[in-house]
Amino acid sequence: MVRFNEVDQWGMAWYGHYMAWFEVGRMALLGRFDLMPGQMVDLGYIAPVIALKCDFKHAAACGDKIIIRTTVVKPKIAALTFNFEVLLKEDRTLLARGETTQVLLTTGRKMIYRLSGELEKRINSLVNFCQQE
Amino acid sequence: MKEIVNNSEELCKYLKKMIIDTLKLEEITAEEIKDDAPLFKEGLGLDSIDALELVVAIENIFNVIIEDEDVGKRAFASVNTLARFIQEEYNQGK
Repeated sequence: MVRFNEVDQWGMAWYGHYMAWFEVGRMALLGRFDLMPGQMVDLGYIAPVIALKCDFKHAAACGDKIIIRTTVVKPKIAALTFNFEVLLKEDRTLLARGETTQVLLTTGRKMIYRLSGELEKRINSLVNFCQQE
Repeated sequence: MKEIVNNSEELCKYLKKMIIDTLKLEEITAEEIKDDAPLFKEGLGLDSIDALELVVAIENIFNVIIEDEDVGKRAFASVNTLARFIQEEYNQGK
């Protein structure tokens, strides 16, 4: 539900909040595959976002119930790309479409160029799940 | 491929074309890339995602693996260093 503090002076959801909503979708998906930020750190990795884009289609208003549809693109390179759609729950109107790209670093801040081991296994499970959806 | 790899001049030419094709660089030609100019930052100005794309291309074409940033820093210093790196790894694998 879009909260009062999330709308601007014109009664529309402020654009920056969409990124916080994307994060809700991302966490829900990552949690299913033991890839939450803390679990990544336990494996020895972090995954900072290096690119973000968002197209806004319709404005959400205070009190609107929204759905964040989140999916991961099958990676061609050692990076994670999430796609997001923010929809109005009532009639599935598309409010915004977004994408983030994350690279993978070791906790020592060294960028990795290829996936391997347990991290690769978990990311593959995540990607396979998203492709079935 | 073996003939190209073992001819440094040909390999450098090939790599320049590979870089341009892989990264879809439109504002530069292969002839404009200097053999010893840095590929990242102040040179060609490539970024970390570009490195990931090149790693995949190099693995597909030469079956040579660049595991991480440490190896990447050496290999991607310039077209010359990349050629030398590929020659060493390619011939080791064969």
